[in-house]
Amino acid sequence: MAGTGAHGRAERRSAGELESEVLAALWATERPLTPAEIQSEIGGGLAYNTVHTILKRLYDKGLVLRDADGRRGAYRPAKNAAELTAQAMHEALDRGPDPIAALQQFVSGLSPEEERALRNLFAGGGA
Amino acid sequence: MMFDVYTPLLVSLLLPLVGPVIGRRVAPALAARVLTSAAVLTAAATTWSLILLTTALVGDAPPVIREARAAGRHLADPVPEVIGVAACLALAVVVRRVQRAVRAERRTRRALRRLCEGHPRDVELVVAASEVPQAFAIPGRPGRILVTSAMLSALAPAERRVLLAHERAHLTHRHGRLVTAATLAEAANPLLGPVRATVSFLVERWADEQAASAVGDRVTTARALARAALNAGRARRSCALSFTDRAVTRRIAALQTAPPPHLWSAAAAVLALGALAALFAADATSDLVGLLWNALT
Repeated sequence: MAGTGAHGRAERRSAGELESEVLAALWATERPLTPAEIQSEIGGGLAYNTVHTILKRLYDKGLVLRDADGRRGAYRPAKNAAELTAQAMHEALDRGPDPIAALQQFVSGLSPEEERALRNLFAGGGA
Repeated sequence: MMFDVYTPLLVSLLLPLVGPVIGRRVAPALAARVLTSAAVLTAAATTWSLILLTTALVGDAPPVIREARAAGRHLADPVPEVIGVAACLALAVVVRRVQRAVRAERRTRRALRRLCEGHPRDVELVVAASEVPQAFAIPGRPGRILVTSAMLSALAPAERRVLLAHERAHLTHRHGRLVTAATLAEAANPLLGPVRATVSFLVERWADEQAASAVGDRVTTARALARAALNAGRARRSCALSFTDRAVTRRIAALQTAPPPHLWSAAAAVLALGALAALFAADATSDLVGLLWNALT
């Protein structure tokens, strides 16, 4: 576990996992990204060609769009399905404690003192 | 019969005490599995005990007593009528609670399926274009990971990998099923509520450990949790979800130490507790069958 660098891990990521990572990277940044920018954003020793293949696959599935008016070769995420999902999610959240509260969410609530402690973690660790 | 039938109840009082201790000392993957198994066994045993106690009311039924007297047989009645009636009422409550839990489970599944509409089936990640930082796993075939755009943009690249690996671990190890099993156990036996809470916490810890080994870095994993929690806290509305059980802080603290060992002996002890409840319930059954056989023939 320890001592295995990000590079060693890259080979073991499956195509499906890489698709998720590329898609996540495109959503995380506000602007369209070129394959080279995605490559450096994701890191982990991913080959340029691999990034290209994954983008092509995501494009075929309708999840990313080629940026028409921006720079050549840049991609941005397709919004339609994501907006519908957000709407459905908000409706589900507004209906009350279930059903999403019942799920295992990545993180749950913080008390003010916990929040202070976590901020110190960043101050100390340098983020 | 006298004691056997009440033993599962005793176990369901013990299990919530043992749960948190096991949860702290034993590897989360092992602890979550044995606690869930023990909870399910215990809940089945207490429910069965209620059925037995209710059935024992047959021994108090006037026709049975009359018949036994007529035949000149002495009727041993191990269960006082009051307890029989109380058990009958408790059983009705249990049935109602389990029904409600199953219905809530179905409602959740339906709502979750709706969230995936419009996304290709062969893509693991479902993004929601929302300002609310949120992430969770959607069990199913295939399982999906839902993350909002706000959560994705709050995290650094390595932290996004932690998040994806964490949610992926929930799907790969079918954590949804474990939690559902523990929830149903709690529905059947409310005394097991704390055990369900421990299991919910342990599957998060389990996914954290999986994410840490996938990314190869416990510090980054802890930082991803902290950053996600800080962002989620800032955006969280005052209603629902605002409870705090220190869960995130405890998870982060656990990531700052070495992963807990697979303590098989402790795990076996928890499992034995559940098995004990089931065994006593089974023993009580044969006692009751014997008694009723005597009374009715």
